[in-house]
Parts: sequence; structure tokens; C-alpha cells
Amino acid sequence: MVTKIDGATTCNETERQVFETELNMGTVHPAALEPYRVRLFIEDEIVKDAEITVGVNHRGIERIMEGLPVEKANALTEKVCGICSNGHIFNSCRTGEGALGIEIPERAKYLRVLAQELERLHSHMLYLGHGSEVLCHETFAMRIFYIRESVMDLLFMMGGNRVQYGISVLGGIRPRADLNSREKQRILDTMDYIDEKVAAFAERFVADPMVMSRITGTGELSQKQALDLHVTGPTLRATGYEFDYRTKMPEYEPFEFNVITQDGGDVRANILMRATEIFESTNIIRQVIKGLPEGPIVNRNWELTDAPVYKSYIEVPRGVCYHSYGLEDGKVRHSIIRTPSMSNIAAMQESCIGHPVQDAQLNIVSCDPCFTCTDRAIQIIKL
Amino acid sequence: MGIKSLARKKAIHLMLVYTGGCNGCDIEIVNTVLSPKFDIEQYNVYLTWNPREADVLVVSGPVTHWTKEPLIKIYESIPKPKLVVAVGACALTGGVYKNIHGELPSEEIAGPVDNVIPVDAKVPGCAVRPEDVVAGVVSVIPILLEKEDK
Ligand code: SF4
Repeated sequence: MVTKIDGATTCNETERQVFETELNMGTVHPAALEPYRVRLFIEDEIVKDAEITVGVNHRGIERIMEGLPVEKANALTEKVCGICSNGHIFNSCRTGEGALGIEIPERAKYLRVLAQELERLHSHMLYLGHGSEVLCHETFAMRIFYIRESVMDLLFMMGGNRVQYGISVLGGIRPRADLNSREKQRILDTMDYIDEKVAAFAERFVADPMVMSRITGTGELSQKQALDLHVTGPTLRATGYEFDYRTKMPEYEPFEFNVITQDGGDVRANILMRATEIFESTNIIRQVIKGLPEGPIVNRNWELTDAPVYKSYIEVPRGVCYHSYGLEDGKVRHSIIRTPSMSNIAAMQESCIGHPVQDAQLNIVSCDPCFTCTDRAIQIIKL
Repeated sequence: MGIKSLARKKAIHLMLVYTGGCNGCDIEIVNTVLSPKFDIEQYNVYLTWNPREADVLVVSGPVTHWTKEPLIKIYESIPKPKLVVAVGACALTGGVYKNIHGELPSEEIAGPVDNVIPVDAKVPGCAVRPEDVVAGVVSVIPILLEKEDK
């Protein structure tokens, strides 16, 4: 309703009618890569509330795992996620080893860390590529995908496959994934290549005024909100909170690395966060190759026995991942997997709220979603 | 070769539908299109997200019950002639998610893809290699052009 006050046309706030529109997308929507449902409640192009639902790609891996011997179940956990497949098999082997009290050789520990860091590299580069694609900057996306291929080649060299490489087995690592001196040199050369190329990419990225003005200040998430929602991983670190589960893992003790943080919690901070973490990962990989101890890579001296519920947490590219096993005669009786995106879904919703609707997709992508692995049967316990 | 198929040959559009696999295959397919190393665009194949524009539907994943309906809808809204390429062990056989039960039917999986929609080409692998995706998609183009002329 428009009224005239003193000759000027203004809006009368009390009589103005605001319509809330609902925009929903999904669950299988051609524009979203993964199936998930977003409902955005919009007033005046500003998102007032957002709701993300998952559940369409529930395949019930934990249910399939029940009754299988623990080594077989470990191999299945890899199929939880195609991005952090190594994170899952690493953590489930770690859980099984903890439960059955299996000692792992030192060399295997180093190589597991190596695989984990290579995976972080490819996941962060995928994030940068996907983010650039959503920003509609295809040139950046192609450029970073090209650099990513060098990491995929290393994973192919180690595991013999580009996605499901299955490096860890119960008691150590697969003999296939052991490194000889030529392969070590190749990894070192690739790390130099990545450092150089990603630095050049990042420089070009931050020097682009169009891109920077698009991403600065969009999808802000404050540190308090992030802590309240129990956000993990780089999304939490992008709000300035220093928390990285790698600092608490015994596997990472021999290596020196910094916990990177960024301020702001917006899309810019998220993107820079991942870009700077790439250099930390290449640094860890160099230390792994330099300090790689000689010796056996797998300990086959173990027995399948009963074990009470054993829990294990590790840091995967998107945050903290949780696995637990309860074993009976070495067969899985109970298993729970919680992936980091589970807690980051709240961050995705929250970062959409209060921002224009055209930024919503970008804000969701900036929290690095992986809805496939998040699709587990969950129970929310109100405290 | 008729004028229609001659024109079509220059702009084949590929659409990706994801039906509940582990994401590994999807990323490899996106890699096929976006990564300059594989670059399916050199064969005049482009990625689209609009079913009405698409010629080739690339399906990955074992088709969970929830994604069955949308998959049929997307398939039906693609104009003729259309072809379907099933990509990955999941799309071909149901993969680990379906077959691990042995004789028992899985409660979650409605697939594999050819239970739901007709499939013209199958690309195996878990996860598929981008080279194989390129080969699979390029090998169905002649069939598409033949159908176009009819
Ligand atoms: S075939 Fe393998 S990589 Fe592809 S979606 Fe299925 S489990 Fe994942």
C-alpha cells in the first residue's frame, strides 16, 4: 500500500503486505548434482528460512555390514562416499584394529597418512572446481580440475583405481600400495607441481575483482552460530575457530603442520580456507616421504574375537568422521557411521538465511556438501 | 546422412542423473566434461542440466526406490530420439548395495537401471574411468544419428 506523506512517495510499513513464497527444489533436480531437497522461504527475495532434507539415497550400508566379518565390512565402508572413500576405509580399519587390539607397523601408518592427505588434496580441489562452476566461472573450474588430475594419477598409482583405491586393510595397508623409490620421487615432483600451480591459481583468483566482490560477505556464518550448530572441519575453521582433529590423532604426531583459520565465515573465507590448506597437505606429504620408515607394511598376526563397542574419530576433508563397531567373533554386530556433512547441513541452512535467494546455491556449495555419504539412518537426541 | 542428423552431430547434449550411488561415478562423469585432460567436448558433446535439451542420458547409481519415479519422469521428458548410457557397476548390476544380500531382495534398491528404463550402452567400472565414459558416450552417437534420420 503506497501512501503520500509530504509529497514524497513512501511505503507505509504497517499496511505493506509481504507474501512469503516457498521455493523448493528437489529431491532429484537436474540442477543439483546430488539428490537433496531444499525448501527456501522467501520474502522480498531474501531467504527467511531454509530447510534441507536428505534421505533419498539411503542404501543402508550399516545394515548390509551386519553379520559380515570385519575385513569385509571394512571394504564396504569405502562405498559410503566416493569423495572421501579413503577416509571411511581408514577409519573403519582403525576402529576394527582398536577393537581387536591389532598393532599396525610404522610404515603402514605413514602410508595411511599419505593416502589421507592425497585425498584431502583432491577433495579440496574438487571443492574449488565446484565452487568456481557455481560462480559460473568455468575457466577457473577447468584450470583447477586440470591440476586435480595430477593427484588422481598419484592415487591411481598407489591403489590402482581412481576413486575406490582401498589402501588400508585390517592390520596395515595393501601390498599394492607400497612405494618404491621411483614412486616416491614422483610424489615429490607432483607436490612441487601442485604448490606452484595452486599458488598461481590462488593469486589469479584473489586478483579478480568481479569474483571477489561476488563472494565477499555472502553466506556469512558467525563463529558463535557455527559452534552452536556443531559445525566441523574447514567450514568451522573458516569462521576463525581453531579446531582440527588431526592434532589429536596419534598418526599425525610425527608431522608438523599448522591449523589454518580464516575470518568471516563467508564464501570468500571458505574458498581461501581450502586453498591454503592445500599447501599444508603438500607439506605433510613431503614429510611422510622424507621420514618413511622401512619395514613390514601389514601385520597379519591377529585373531577375530569378541569386542565391545569401539569408537573412533578421524579428520576427513570435510570434518570429523565417526565410526563404531561392536564385534562378535569378529563379525559385525553393530556399526554406526557419522559423516561430517551431517553436522554441516545445519551450517548450509543457516548460511542461506538472511541472504538473497540467488546466492542460496552458492552458500550451500560453500559449506562443501556431500549428501551421498550423509544419507544414514539417524536419531536426534534432544538434550 | 540427412540434414537433421548432420546438424545434430555438432551438438549432442548429455544429461547426468544420479540415482543414489556413492558419488564416485558422478564426479568422474563431471570430470569427463570439465577436466581438460579428458574433455568430451572435443566430440561435440556438451553437458546440460535440462532434460528437454538432452539427447543422451547418463545414469549412475543403483536407483533407490525414492529416485525411481524422478528417473522415469526425467527419461520421459527428454524428446526423441534419446539414448541411455548406464555408468558404473551400481547402474549395471546394483553393485554392492543390491547383490550383497544374495537371494534376498534389497529393501532400498529398485535398480539396476535397466529394470526401470531401457539402456542402450553400459560402461562398467567401480568407479568408471573417464576414458571409458568418453568411449561409451561416443559409441552411441551413431545410433542416435541413425534414429534421427528415421
Ligand atoms: S559403481 Fe562404484 S564408484 Fe560408482 S557409484 Fe557405484 S559404488 Fe560408487
